[in-house]
Amino acid sequence: MSGLSKGKTEPASDSQNEQRAQHWGLLSSLLVAPPEKDLLAAIAGLHGDDTALGQAYRRLAKAAQTADPAAVKREFFELFIGVGRGELLPYASFYITGFLNERPLADLRRDLAVIGVERAQGRHEPEDHIASLAEIMAGLASGQFSADALGCGAAGEAGFFARHLQPWAPQFFDDLAVAPSANFFRHVAEIGSVFTDIEIRAFELARKQEGPASAAAAH
Amino acid sequence: MPKVILRLGIVAMSRPPVTRWSGRVLRPVSAMIDLPPLEAGALMTDRDGVQTVYLGDHELALHSGETRHYIDNLTARQPSVWVAMDNDRIAVVTADPYEGEALASDPERMVEAVPMPTALAARLDTFIKEHHVEEVFHKRKRVPATSTDAPRAPRILQPEAKWVQTRGRSGRGPLGKG
Repeated sequence: MSGLSKGKTEPASDSQNEQRAQHWGLLSSLLVAPPEKDLLAAIAGLHGDDTALGQAYRRLAKAAQTADPAAVKREFFELFIGVGRGELLPYASFYITGFLNERPLADLRRDLAVIGVERAQGRHEPEDHIASLAEIMAGLASGQFSADALGCGAAGEAGFFARHLQPWAPQFFDDLAVAPSANFFRHVAEIGSVFTDIEIRAFELARKQEGPASAAAAH
Repeated sequence: MPKVILRLGIVAMSRPPVTRWSGRVLRPVSAMIDLPPLEAGALMTDRDGVQTVYLGDHELALHSGETRHYIDNLTARQPSVWVAMDNDRIAVVTADPYEGEALASDPERMVEAVPMPTALAARLDTFIKEHHVEEVFHKRKRVPATSTDAPRAPRILQPEAKWVQTRGRSGRGPLGKG
């Protein structure tokens, strides 16, 4: 905590970034497809401390202990697939412009081409799906991808986050928390909401410090 | 979709050929809801060469999704059962007039509409009362795209805007509505 006394926060350490990557990775794997029995069992074993994020994880673990995989699958269907459409459309383009496949998706594709990330073969969801953005954030946090080449104020993962997630991810998680069919996913929404809030504040803090842009010292 | 299967006995008639170049042709003439103790193909009567043959029994399936067609059948001047035959063997028996018409479009097949027995009409009537769901025709119209018409899709789809199965009795509400 010496950083606080000097009025400066330290840049996030590698282990903190690794943990951030795991948070993003978990969000991604829960939102890309309904969690299977194994993943639910793994989540049921999670512990959390008394922070807001820790409490959210504890509630998710408790929900996962009693969750029925078939019911969670049905809930995922009602939320994100549906007949005609699901209750939510988890795409950046829809949240920012009101329509699917609009300019935010084009901007994202251009940035992804610079970073060197592309859709895996056989995947047909547009790249601005919340799960793929979370997966890219996990890659950026763990150092698997580098967004430094983006430039023009959009460099680094802070820039990527500010351009592609910050405008809509909090709203999306709020919507997921109140969607009519959400039951297990209400806890996922809570984690997503708390975690994106921490990320927003941490990136803001790092920007004010004008330190290395990879900082996220709030963890 | 609930489905009821009944069995009908079918009687056919064949007349002596008018010319010597044509053979006898079996045509279905009536249907019975009580099955007689006869073997399929048994000769029932033979009067001056006009033969009545019991063709055997065949299933008649009533589908709950087609009650509208059965109503059309019962309100016709002569309610009928359609019997389709392939080479003197019963292929399909139906009480749906439109299916019967569709069967008749096959020139290889003999399709006859035979009068519906009163008992079957009564059975069909109870089936309709049990399963019929009236569907109101709704003509869709374009609405002008003004800002008051909310051209954007809702962020969260509410349960009442969801598609639900309403046809038939198996329609059930979406998840979370109980």
